Amino acid sequence: MAMKDSTMPNFLNIKNFDKSFDDLSSLSQLREEAFLNLKDIGIPSKKFERWKYNDLKNDIRNIEFSLCKTSIKIKKNKLDKFEINEIDYFKKNKNHYLQPLKYLKDEGVVNLNLSYSNLFKVLTIKKDLKKPIIVDIKSEGHGMSFPRILINIYNNVNAEIQFLNRGGLGFINQITEINIGKNSSVKISRLNESSSIHSETFFSNLGRNSEINLKNLSIPKNKSRFQVFNSFIDEYSSAQFKSVSIPYENSKDDFLVHNNHLSSNCKSDVGMRSILGKETESSFQALIDVENKIKNSRADQDCRAILLDEKASMNAKPEMKIYNNDVICKHGTTIGSLNQDHIFYLNSRGLNKFEAEKILLQGIISEYISEDSPLINFLPEKYK
Amino acid sequence: MKNFLKIKNLSISVDDKCIIKDLNLNINKGEVHALMGPNGCGKSTLSNVLAGKEGYDITNGKISFSGENLLKFSPNERANKGIFLAFQYPVEIPGVTNINFIKTALESNRQYNGLDPLKPGDFLKLIKEKAELLGISDEYLKRQLNVGFSGGEKKRNEALQLMMLEPSLAILDETDSGLDVDAFKIVADAVNSTRGKKNSMLIITHYQRLLERIQPDIVHVFINGSIIESGGPELAEEIDKNGYERFNNA
Repeated sequence: MAMKDSTMPNFLNIKNFDKSFDDLSSLSQLREEAFLNLKDIGIPSKKFERWKYNDLKNDIRNIEFSLCKTSIKIKKNKLDKFEINEIDYFKKNKNHYLQPLKYLKDEGVVNLNLSYSNLFKVLTIKKDLKKPIIVDIKSEGHGMSFPRILINIYNNVNAEIQFLNRGGLGFINQITEINIGKNSSVKISRLNESSSIHSETFFSNLGRNSEINLKNLSIPKNKSRFQVFNSFIDEYSSAQFKSVSIPYENSKDDFLVHNNHLSSNCKSDVGMRSILGKETESSFQALIDVENKIKNSRADQDCRAILLDEKASMNAKPEMKIYNNDVICKHGTTIGSLNQDHIFYLNSRGLNKFEAEKILLQGIISEYISEDSPLINFLPEKYK
Repeated sequence: MKNFLKIKNLSISVDDKCIIKDLNLNINKGEVHALMGPNGCGKSTLSNVLAGKEGYDITNGKISFSGENLLKFSPNERANKGIFLAFQYPVEIPGVTNINFIKTALESNRQYNGLDPLKPGDFLKLIKEKAELLGISDEYLKRQLNVGFSGGEKKRNEALQLMMLEPSLAILDETDSGLDVDAFKIVADAVNSTRGKKNSMLIITHYQRLLERIQPDIVHVFINGSIIESGGPELAEEIDKNGYERFNNA
């Protein structure tokens, strides 16, 4: 069966590719199922998927179809106890392997990962953590890698996790999935400073009265897309996503956030701050999805992009799909240069153009990345 | 110093409309001048041009400050040379904390003038001293710059910056507007405390009440972009009693 997307001849048949993963053979059937979906949907492209502003297909067209060296290191406090599993988890829990497809049926990029996943980490957290867990994902050299991270957080647990995505020169297609039990809360700090073409799909499945607070700092040196899907499985859960994007020159940083209000009395809050310099490009698509029977939802979206160069560009597409009247929603987007009245005010106190811009941009960043955030250490020097 | 600020035959247009016409004004070091005029007469235009704001077309004339051509300097250079504009409507800047902003401004100013930055402890002591005089709490210093401040709080904050930066020429653009009676006294007294032989002030106002607390040396009546009469504090009293009618008809 030929792939629908004939522009990707370097994607091999899954069976040939699978030979290089002896450990994964017991999952072959599941992976093949994902691969058949991938064949049906095609390699992610603007035509077939929800992304309207970037075309991953073109970006990865010329990447060598071999694996690059990738590692996922878990750093933790000695006093904190939690389980770490790898491929063995999915062998024992086969019903979890295709779980992302339960929420997303038309995502080529997800099927791509599920077909070729070559690196697994599964964390099971049953008790409160005293210190944050650090998940350090590094890749080296050209080629592709398809890491998958699953985190299960039990009921009544508070946890903090830091994700560091770094390195690489090829194509990284990552899935991160978090299941949060009832009355639990998780704070996440995510850094992306990859040199590879980086695509990450992040799912959270929220139990009753649970909470996820995701802060993101994205400073890609190549092309990056980050797509977040929060599913409110039970009532009184909330999800917050606050992101700062500062792509390097000639880089591209794309975001998609989908808050799926599947239960009543839930809250979602999405905020984006983009600082776009020379030859940079970013996009932000955010969808609030409230189903017919779902009541008392609160959903906010806010996007602000600062264009520092005439060749910088930003696309923002806030969307609402709301089928119930019992909703409070707020959304706003502003794209433009720094406020000239603000600059003049700062100049009038003696700050030169560089200092004035720096303090204004620091102010914008600090809305989401405060002084006590671990992400502050990763900010480019001129914004510290 | 004589003619510390010297404005000679200054004309300013905005979008081809003449706002300031052939203005002449000399302020010596240590003097306090008041510029009084009705709405829309060009007072704020003058203060913005002195501070270096873009968007104004200087069609004629010169401005010298401390013997140098002021117009060749950028706004931050003017500030670091000692010009301070207390804004009529200070802008709100989210994310920038008040205390960090004032520290950065003071450091820029000291660096420009060849001085070492204040030690953190000395800076903190100084700003707390000045803030106390203005009834400004520590919490208020940590807030975002002017964000959510009342009109009165913004004016107090302008006065705090004035006291911290110690400019040689302070231009107060309707600093009295938006202040209740108590805040008015606090701000006026704080501004008065900065008065000295080494610095000058240009107070722009509609009303005499500010000039009762900050006694000017010279009062100018400013109508339609020109000074049409100058005199002592009695001129302000006359305007307070009779308004600008006599001058409008002049």
